[in-house]
Amino acid sequence: MTASLPIPLIQTLQVATVGLGAPLVSGVISRIEARLQGRRGPRVLQPYYDLAKLVRKEALAPEGASPVFLLAPLVACACYLTVPLLIPVLTTYGLPLGYMGDILGGGFILSLASFVVAVAALETGSPYAQLGASRAKTFAAITEPVVLFVVFTVALVTGTDLPYVLAATVRSSAGQLVRPAHLLAAAALFMVILYETGRIPVETHTGTNEFGMIEEARPFEHSGPYFALLKWGSMMKQLILYVILVNVFVAPWGLSATAKPGDVVLAIVTLLAKAAGIGVVVAVIDNSFAKLRLFKITEFVAGAFLLAVLGVFTLYLGGG
Amino acid sequence: MHLLAVGTAPSVFAGGSNVIALIVLLLEFGMLRQALRRDQIRLYAAQSAALSVLAITVAAARNLPDLYALAFCSAAIKVVAVPLVVRRLLRDTGDEIAGSGGLSVASSVLVAIVVAAFGFFAVGTLPIRSPVLPITALAIAFAVVLVAFVLMINRRDVVSQAIGFFSLENGVSLAALVVAAGMPLIFEVVFLFDLLVAVVVFGLLIRVHHGRAESLSTSELTSLRG
Repeated sequence: MTASLPIPLIQTLQVATVGLGAPLVSGVISRIEARLQGRRGPRVLQPYYDLAKLVRKEALAPEGASPVFLLAPLVACACYLTVPLLIPVLTTYGLPLGYMGDILGGGFILSLASFVVAVAALETGSPYAQLGASRAKTFAAITEPVVLFVVFTVALVTGTDLPYVLAATVRSSAGQLVRPAHLLAAAALFMVILYETGRIPVETHTGTNEFGMIEEARPFEHSGPYFALLKWGSMMKQLILYVILVNVFVAPWGLSATAKPGDVVLAIVTLLAKAAGIGVVVAVIDNSFAKLRLFKITEFVAGAFLLAVLGVFTLYLGGG
Repeated sequence: MHLLAVGTAPSVFAGGSNVIALIVLLLEFGMLRQALRRDQIRLYAAQSAALSVLAITVAAARNLPDLYALAFCSAAIKVVAVPLVVRRLLRDTGDEIAGSGGLSVASSVLVAIVVAAFGFFAVGTLPIRSPVLPITALAIAFAVVLVAFVLMINRRDVVSQAIGFFSLENGVSLAALVVAAGMPLIFEVVFLFDLLVAVVVFGLLIRVHHGRAESLSTSELTSLRG
């Protein structure tokens, strides 16, 4: 009875959902976190106001910084807006541009974004930004194997490394959902996400503890609209990673199987609700663990690596 | 060893029981990482509980009523009694932090992964088929035993080594559950009482060692070398 939406529009909606929904998800998480700590907390819409305020402010660059410094936030944002094209954000069926890249392709684009931000941080000459950039790259090097093993698990389970196919496989039977390899890979990915989004036990994202900073220290020297872009970018990165976890691994239900407007709108709402659900888990973890010392982060990553490796092992034994 | 055909998942029972077996293995790794003795004991109790849950699952799915009794006995001894006794022993000694191992935590986890991989693939090549549980659970049981060895070799204090030994017994019980779930109940119970003997021996060792050396570290024992 209702006409179907044109496919390019749905594709655009995927990007728009991630771009516009990301501050909302961040707002919900910080609100929940505040409630868990017994504070009233900021409004759920506060991140939007923050971004709007920053956009109106003046942009400054440190003396001697090259154009790379101001270009980096734009490139990073472009990367974060590209990834939602590749992953199942709203639909169960692959959209035309969804086959431009596989999971590794998406990973490369996310790494490119983090790389340009690190380069911009090095441009500043500010010790804190450089410290954050160097730490971020060091620890990224040790979380990389975990991501690779998660991708291996996906490849062994599905025979491809397309996120759409894994989501469809998980939906296909209950046996697929409880198979150990799948659970281990999802758990390992969740630990990587905690690291990538700068959450406890790796990093506090609130507060001003410069010595423990990794991700949060990098945009120290940016200001105005550029700082807004970087903040928006990290919110988008958070939502993208949650989407990968929830729509590909943990709960690929509630996606739209058709192109009808009702289904698509429902998929948008479900997605934001699921992301907020992950946010609740993250906020609980934030409130129940202490931040690890910097040199203990290797132990955390070793744990994630263990999960991912065991996932591949059980698959090779035929029981995963 | 054969690679599973792409796309075919194990049944829900096989997948679920493998997950429980993997939880036993992950808790073993947890003990390997854990720095506080109290938490090590807690992890041991959790591991034993996971084993009992697996026994109950098998009993329900494969219609083996003996296993209910076994699960109950093993829970009573390993989840309640052994941790209680070890905690009592620890209360007298006073120090909380387990002796650090010869390797850092991350390195010992990596070593244990390699050792566990050896166990996995060594058993994976054996032509054993079990009527009650998937063979993966047997491979995981061997990995548990080997990681328990790593724990006992790496740690330099009596209590951690005792916990390593007890959890090694958990790995053996898991293997027994896979290959010999239909074994007469009396044998299974006899194995459990074996564990009690080990607890008495280790308890005595902890007492005597702490009485002599005023510490739980095994480094004092090297002076005994001729």
